[in-house]
Amino acid sequence: GSGDARGPARASSELVAYRSPNDFPYSKELMIQVDSKHEAVLLPIYGSMVPFHVSTVKSVTSHQDNRTCTIRIIFNVPGTAFNPHDANTLKFQGNIFVKEISFRSKDPRHSSEVVQQIKTLRRQVASRESERAERAT
Amino acid sequence: MTDGHQFNGILLGGRGGTNPGQFRLNSGGLQWKKQGGGKEIIVNKSEIVSLTWMKVPRAYQLGVRRKDGVFCKFIGFKEQDVGTLNSFIQKNIGATPEEKQLSISGHNWGAVDIDGNMLTFMVSNKQAFEVSLADVSQTQLQGKTDVYLEFHVDDTTGANEKDSLMDVSFHIPTSNTQFVGDEDRP
Repeated sequence: GSGDARGPARASSELVAYRSPNDFPYSKELMIQVDSKHEAVLLPIYGSMVPFHVSTVKSVTSHQDNRTCTIRIIFNVPGTAFNPHDANTLKFQGNIFVKEISFRSKDPRHSSEVVQQIKTLRRQVASRESERAERAT
Repeated sequence: MTDGHQFNGILLGGRGGTNPGQFRLNSGGLQWKKQGGGKEIIVNKSEIVSLTWMKVPRAYQLGVRRKDGVFCKFIGFKEQDVGTLNSFIQKNIGATPEEKQLSISGHNWGAVDIDGNMLTFMVSNKQAFEVSLADVSQTQLQGKTDVYLEFHVDDTTGANEKDSLMDVSFHIPTSNTQFVGDEDRP
């Protein structure tokens, strides 16, 4: 299931990756990481690791060209064809959304691994959420 | 040590990742020197516009905004350093560092704040991330609602991160009233 999370909308407050800075993993190396426990994708932006909850991720792709890998992450934004967070995002009208972000990776193996991890986590969270929505109806 | 404070193993954060070095603060300003030589950053007292503290994983980060709009960040201070440095800064630099919070909620919606050269993405009034517009090589308006920022590909400055940021785009719904016209272009 790619996340047919219809039914009652979740409260936006549930969509939280970390509650305290102390929960946030420390990483020595700046690279894209997946924290399955907190359902977060961590992206290195300007020397800091920035978390994004996996349910904000719409899709992720990687592309290899010679020795350069590109990882592209597309986020859910309002107005797209299918968006499980419409109910949430509608509440935040006037907000600005991060829509897409791409990284160049030096390590092709890491890049395909991390893309796979994001996809797997995204699937897990989406199917759990759709089950939860079904139970609620 | 007569004047000021010195810390080793302070990371200078920036586009290419982080590099460790020695941080020194004295009554004339602050200085950071890369471990093993090389890059050096000197910010004179007169160039400092504002200072900020932010709690980051395992450490505190000192942000320094310079008059020319450049923002430097130094990572790796301990909790007790914050108090020590604050009193020194207040006394000698004549500024009070402001406390900023890091957003860790993982949301991709918030607000964009442009101050000098820095573009900050704020989630619930907490900082999620910031980028320097000085490193933007190209901006594009895509459709009516999307702004695309492309960053210089930098292979030279010893980037030590495995994955480097290439581009980011923001979706600005028409209901947003913060940016009208061309204002969000650097």
